[in-house]
Amino acid sequence: MGDTVVNTDVKQVGSENALVIAVSHGAVFGAEDEDVHGVAFPLLQAVQKVNERLQQLKSSDSEPVQLEVVLICTNRAQQQQRDQVQTRTRAQGLQIHKFSFSCEDDFTDSLLENKVHLFLTTNSDEATQAANKGVLSAVLDPESACGPSEKLRIMFCGDAISDPGAESMSGSRQAKQVFWSHLGKIRQKFGVEDSPLTLVLLSSHGGIDGCCSALRSLRTAGLNVDEAYCLGGSPRKLIMSVLRPHFLLGAPEE
Amino acid sequence: MVKMSLDPVQVVSAQVNELKVGPSSNGDSRGPWEDKQEFNSQECLNNTKPKSVTGRRARKVEGAVFFPRPEHAVTIAVSTRVLFRTEKEQKVFEQQGIEEYLRYQIEHENEPFAPGPAFPFVKALETVNARLRDLYPQSEELFDIVLVTYNHAHVGVRLINTINHHNLFIERFCMTGGGSPIGYLKAWHTNLYLSADADKVREALAEGIAAATMFMPEKQTVVSESQLRVAFDGDAVLFSDESERIFKAHGLDKFFEHEKDNEDTLLDHGPLKGFLEALGKLQKKFYAKGHRLDCPIRTFLVTARSAASSGIRALKTLRAWGLEIDEALFLAGAPKGPMLEKIRPHIYFDDQMFHVEGAAEMGTIAAHVPYGVAQYNSSKKNQRWANKLT
Repeated sequence: MGDTVVNTDVKQVGSENALVIAVSHGAVFGAEDEDVHGVAFPLLQAVQKVNERLQQLKSSDSEPVQLEVVLICTNRAQQQQRDQVQTRTRAQGLQIHKFSFSCEDDFTDSLLENKVHLFLTTNSDEATQAANKGVLSAVLDPESACGPSEKLRIMFCGDAISDPGAESMSGSRQAKQVFWSHLGKIRQKFGVEDSPLTLVLLSSHGGIDGCCSALRSLRTAGLNVDEAYCLGGSPRKLIMSVLRPHFLLGAPEE
Repeated sequence: MVKMSLDPVQVVSAQVNELKVGPSSNGDSRGPWEDKQEFNSQECLNNTKPKSVTGRRARKVEGAVFFPRPEHAVTIAVSTRVLFRTEKEQKVFEQQGIEEYLRYQIEHENEPFAPGPAFPFVKALETVNARLRDLYPQSEELFDIVLVTYNHAHVGVRLINTINHHNLFIERFCMTGGGSPIGYLKAWHTNLYLSADADKVREALAEGIAAATMFMPEKQTVVSESQLRVAFDGDAVLFSDESERIFKAHGLDKFFEHEKDNEDTLLDHGPLKGFLEALGKLQKKFYAKGHRLDCPIRTFLVTARSAASSGIRALKTLRAWGLEIDEALFLAGAPKGPMLEKIRPHIYFDDQMFHVEGAAEMGTIAAHVPYGVAQYNSSKKNQRWANKLT
């Protein structure tokens, strides 16, 4: 049985006003705990930038919202040295709202308890476990998690959206819709230009009609993307380094 | 009793062959399939079993390559403002800002755009592709047309509707939402980039990508629907601007003297040399199948050089490069407009706005290559024209 520790250094967000993103410890600090900056580090910095801008809008915003970050620690050593984990994140300047300490087997309970909308990890088994419990999840790898630290870039895989028959490896349909709707609302708070959050649609296989239907589906769920790319079968890795997303939702391995 | 071979090696290799070869293989040259480096079965399946498209679009390409790999194809990137006519929307953007512009686009989503200056060129590329697929069904050496725009994805549905409406074979696009498209141009091994924005074109040229700014001709000209016709200026387009520099600095006599003295020295290459080369490669594929006389690609050189003197150096250079140009017109300084009107190319590349203007006035679809010493001519007339047409 795990438990969740609230980080008193960071102002908490009421659950009705939060888009909750959970990130695994391994993604932030590396699997062997060796990295000062793991693959998810710039992501958290970019999330912080979004939160800062959302804060600035607060006074004129009828529905204020923030991105809430939960750090998922499943390693026994992390359990035993909780203070160290908290100290470390503070030292790195990361804004973590909550720390969740649990075992590998029951971290998914923590995701559900904390009403996590999106779970990010470098471990594909963990992602599958979370998805099986209905939590939207994505695997971070250096190729697809190469975003900058100043702006948050979230990428959607168009092929998964436009093909309803596609095996959903990333979470329940409902979880997706909820996430899209929340994210769409957040995106709308900023103008077309100078937004700290950029939404990107990528269709790898299939043609422009598939991409069109993905654009429409997202729009129906309240989400307007800023950029759209249709690759027509050319390999993703060609342009990932140009696109620089922080993570990619709904894409099968290539 | 049926004799069956139980040799497992044979069975395995038969399966492998099936993966590689498409259903309508007729023993033709398999081209790049044999020597591709990054073969993986996933891509192979994509290429040999394209989804058949039903509905309005008659675009079945059974057994042929629909999505050529960028490194094998001749990639032509076009922006929305040259492929389609978007003047009205441009005005909304300039006068009312981006939010209103996007709202307007979404509101008119189901109204397809009209064809722009690059439209006939793109249609002609598709005609060539159809002929290439007939002759070489397994080859990826095709034109690949990519829409590259810095429009926001809000315009995406309208663009896709327009592509479908005009039955264009475009399955790749980039909507960068304001960001520079240069990274994508490079990732897709772009052979030619056409845009309405001179800055983007200059940026591409600086990165070694052939590029030109396109202008809408003043009057509609009928161009061929069965043959792609591409015309090039010589200096600072196919060749470097070395000779133009001499002419500008020292005048015509010095230019002739320099050309004569250097007759046997090759000219350096210009930004569009690579594109002419790519066209030549495809032409040779038609010649190889006995289609020299009815080749659906024809190239033209339209130069102010004169045949008897300065033109010799140009011809020698082309020959040394192994490039054939179908028709070379040496005008010895005569105006290019009337000649181009006869040629009726789908696109004409020139580095001098003066010539581009003249061509457009007479109905030729002209494209400006902002390269070389001619760009430092800041005549008021040029500026006014450039403002009017972009």
